Amino acid sequence: MPIIVNLDVMLAKRKLKLKELSEKVGVSTVNLSILKQGKVKAIRFTTLDAICLALDCQPGDILEYVE
Amino acid sequence: MKTLKHISVAFLIMLISGLSSYYLKPNNPIMMTFLFLIVGFFFFNLILRKSLSFKSYFTSRYNLFTTKVRTEKSYDIPKELMFEKIIEVINHSDFKLVETDENKFEILAISKITFKSWGENLYINFETKGNETIMKFCSSTLFQMYSWGKNEKNYDNLLNEIESSLIV
Repeated sequence: MPIIVNLDVMLAKRKLKLKELSEKVGVSTVNLSILKQGKVKAIRFTTLDAICLALDCQPGDILEYVE
Repeated sequence: MKTLKHISVAFLIMLISGLSSYYLKPNNPIMMTFLFLIVGFFFFNLILRKSLSFKSYFTSRYNLFTTKVRTEKSYDIPKELMFEKIIEVINHSDFKLVETDENKFEILAISKITFKSWGENLYINFETKGNETIMKFCSSTLFQMYSWGKNEKNYDNLLNEIESSLIV
């Protein structure tokens, strides 16, 4: 899939662990791990909103389209 | 075809129960022994069902007292993650998680015994094939020679829950 999830990059920049993000966002660590690997079927706007709020970033920082 | 199969089994059950009540009276020792064996066997299975160690007993093709439905589904998610994911899905489903084996990547979940169902054991294990994880389901009835399609229905429900849980 040409959409790459840069969640691990943002986590490293914010010096946050996946578990900490999971607690802030209210999404299980398993789901975040699957999202991080870009294996989810879809992402809800509410989840994206919560992640952006927790990581203080834009959706484009997390999702990237690569040709 | 499936309906015809269900009707045939229902007819056979009615025929057997009709013949047995005609030939065997309630105080007949054969009837009493037979009933005692059935009840005993039911409780025996009820005790054994809550352990992964007896998986082969329930899923064996030679065990004629359980109905087995085997299916496979592949996902492009690593085995370790898929294992955790299925545990999460089962915890939010009608199934009850009984035992997990992290080393063998095996899961045992059971469904409750209700007026509609005698209960079901769901054995799940995972295998890696290239980049894909193959999830193998084996659904076995607790004490039923014919499942009336309930196993398939439960399996479909669980698959739907897995699919919807992949939307985060």
